[in-house]
Amino acid sequence: MKKKLQIMLAVLMVAVLALSACQPKSGEKVTIIIGVTDQIASLDPADAYATHDWELIKNIGEGLLVWKPGSSDELVPGIAQDMPEISEDGLTYTLKLKPGIKFGDGLELTAPMYAQQLNRLLTIGPSCPNDVADTLAIPYVESITAPDDETLVFQLKVPVAYFPQILADAPYLPSHPDKFPLTECVLFPEAPIYGVGPWFISQYTQNEQLVLEPNPYYEGERTPQVDQIIIRYFTDPQTLALAVQNGEIDIAWRFLDPELIDQLRGVADLTVGDIPGGAIRYLILNHTMAPMDDPNVAKAFAATIDRDAIVDTVYKGAATPLFSMDPPGFLGATDAFDTMYQSPNITLANEFLAASGYDENNKCAIELWYPPDHYGAATAAWMELIKQQLEAANFTVDLKAQEWSTYVTALTGGESYQAGVLGWFYDYPDPSNYLDPFVYNGGMGTNVTLAAEGSDYGEAINEKAQQLVDLLAQADVETDIAARTELYQQAQEIYADLVVTVPIIILGEHITYRSNIHGSDAYGAAETLNIATNLEFNYSTLTKTP
Amino acid sequence: MTPISFILLIIGIPLALMLLYVFIRGSMGLRKYILTRIGLTLPMVFILASLVFFIMRVLPGDPVRSALGPRGTAEQAEHMRQALGLDKPLIVQYGIFLKDIITLNFGNSMVGGHRPIIDEMSERFPATLELIVPASILALAIGIIGGALAASRRKAAADYFLRVYSVVIYSLPIFWFGLMLQLLFGIQLKLLPVAGRIDPIIRTTLEPVTNMYLIDSLISGNWPALGSAVSHLILPTITLGLVLSGVFVRMTRINVIETLQADYIAAARARGIREKVVVYGHALKNAMIPVITLIGLQVAILLAGAVLTETIFNWPGMGGYLVQRISARDYTAVQSVIAMFALLVALISLTVDLIYSLLDPRVRY
Repeated sequence: MKKKLQIMLAVLMVAVLALSACQPKSGEKVTIIIGVTDQIASLDPADAYATHDWELIKNIGEGLLVWKPGSSDELVPGIAQDMPEISEDGLTYTLKLKPGIKFGDGLELTAPMYAQQLNRLLTIGPSCPNDVADTLAIPYVESITAPDDETLVFQLKVPVAYFPQILADAPYLPSHPDKFPLTECVLFPEAPIYGVGPWFISQYTQNEQLVLEPNPYYEGERTPQVDQIIIRYFTDPQTLALAVQNGEIDIAWRFLDPELIDQLRGVADLTVGDIPGGAIRYLILNHTMAPMDDPNVAKAFAATIDRDAIVDTVYKGAATPLFSMDPPGFLGATDAFDTMYQSPNITLANEFLAASGYDENNKCAIELWYPPDHYGAATAAWMELIKQQLEAANFTVDLKAQEWSTYVTALTGGESYQAGVLGWFYDYPDPSNYLDPFVYNGGMGTNVTLAAEGSDYGEAINEKAQQLVDLLAQADVETDIAARTELYQQAQEIYADLVVTVPIIILGEHITYRSNIHGSDAYGAAETLNIATNLEFNYSTLTKTP
Repeated sequence: MTPISFILLIIGIPLALMLLYVFIRGSMGLRKYILTRIGLTLPMVFILASLVFFIMRVLPGDPVRSALGPRGTAEQAEHMRQALGLDKPLIVQYGIFLKDIITLNFGNSMVGGHRPIIDEMSERFPATLELIVPASILALAIGIIGGALAASRRKAAADYFLRVYSVVIYSLPIFWFGLMLQLLFGIQLKLLPVAGRIDPIIRTTLEPVTNMYLIDSLISGNWPALGSAVSHLILPTITLGLVLSGVFVRMTRINVIETLQADYIAAARARGIREKVVVYGHALKNAMIPVITLIGLQVAILLAGAVLTETIFNWPGMGGYLVQRISARDYTAVQSVIAMFALLVALISLTVDLIYSLLDPRVRY
């Protein structure tokens, strides 16, 4: 009996090992597997508003203008013949389509078809669940028309200096008329999903995996180098790290915690590429709530923060101190907060506090809020550090945690919290996207302006805030680069003086890949698989050696 | 037919047949009992789901703000609130919820793409089932064999070992134990995969019917898929199964020890029946009755354990789904999953009671 059982177990083990050793015919395809902890929220370009969704849409599609792989500042024509022709008043953008652009099923893209699909943004876009239209289309675009088969005309409501950058965003990519009808948003169309880009989605299962195969009709620059890309979805960063270490996936993309990245750096056969990312962390100060309504308190706060300590202690060097909301590398970026406060400067902080009557015996009590889960475990660690830093000056800090959905409503509503942490990543790589949202119309809880009916910017709370609004509004429409740079430099100075928000760190992104995966040397940032600061991940530049 | 309806049929038809059989063959008391239990199960699910409905809305947090994040404007939030029906009075929302539960429609998810809950469950529930069934079998196999062995060798080395095992294994945190197995069998020995249900490349060749990959690969004769599904199942099953086996070892041991002291066992031994037959053929059968009751009680713990196991092994099942959706305050998804879990626990509990009545002729209803 015992012997029989042993034999049965042995046979079972051998069968399992033999079966798992079998490789299907599809194994002959060169496949790259990318692991992410993101999930798909929408695949409809008229609706999607998440980094991962955009990454997929941009790999199956191609915009009129595209960012050159490996570059964050080189906008080049994609399916447009040339860069846009802009009317003198800055309100009309005209572009011509390259001939012979086709979707993955062979359907040819014409300008009228493109215009019709783009108009979904303006018609059904605002009623789609993720509602990207209300942020990236409705405020700017009056109409999109196609006077002939190859010409597209964008009529804007107001001149927008950064409209070419917006044109490179996912909502402006052509969508297939059969999958994305004019009358409804389709977040999860059935595969196959074709675009005019280098790939098409051949199959996908939510939360499990998504398969991309080369678009046979694609004739652009980003020709795929492998037969198949599989995006595999993870819920836990730890498991994602183990999977890349175990060779179950080829690339571990967003997000791995700093500690995991640190561990993976020492693993043979793995390379960790560090991308100077555009994701920032900052503190919102509510300028209409005591004691933050006192400019001295806000300035003392800014003078206290030791960003280097946060970077070294919590992020082990995997982040960079941030001294302006306009991050390094962006138009007109300065180190305004460093220049103005040279923080950590406890003496200066206490001087500001003393000017408002606070001293060692009468410390300034503040509440500081954060969401414990939303930005990863590191947030709690560095908020604790900030508390200690503030308490080194004449502050007493009550550090409070709140669950994300309650927190974000209360903080950005500008009614409940004195100060709290938030993160930001741009919709389009332009300083306006890093500065305007925190100033205009309540500034997402900063309250340096208060929402006012009939005003595009809101009502400024003081003269300096009004100056800031004027400068930013002017920069929004200024098309001369030098003049625009100058405006943003001035704006950042006033921003730092007002301490609208307190920029803390800019987080690099990390991509971990196995030694047989390579980026293209033809483009920049090959060591990060051609991913630059804008985090555009072109799967087409990837190659895999045996 | 969706995979979930297919699975419900697979579970539902045998259960219905068993109920019918017991109903026809059973005594009048048993029939009354079955009708009462069914009659009580439905209000229980209803009350639990209603409680979850109200608790979710009382708790701080807002699915709209959670989905929109800091960028969302007041207009966008209002628009989304209308689209999700959250602008309606609570009583109206409750009415809609009840209608959805009764029609087994469950409505649409409030975050992550607003997909029909039934579609999300169709993807997730089979994965959980594929994990908890083998884990339960493993837990029972170790528990019953180990418990009987410990009882038959009372106060010997095997008994001490199994007693220590049952305490230690029951006290192990699942996430730690799972991680250790991943590091040993995955990273160090490179023997087994550490994440997912199947190799992603092989998955592209598998046409899901039930979304239970073991069954789907068998149906389609896709042997590499079967091998891959089995190899992916080993570590999660061991993690969940071993941790749950501790309580079964202890329960079986105690009951077998008690049974071994019964007069009929002494009589069997006196007749010269071999000890193995006495223990496994006579004592174990009778000792199993309380263990079967325990199986019913363990279902809820099994589902809780599955939540952690699914997270550690990137197993896209209901547990991970529930955790994600609670964080996002996805009211409809949480309500539906809890109703589904409640129904599952109630059905298994009913089944266990019926089996109990069939196994033990002394039980009278």
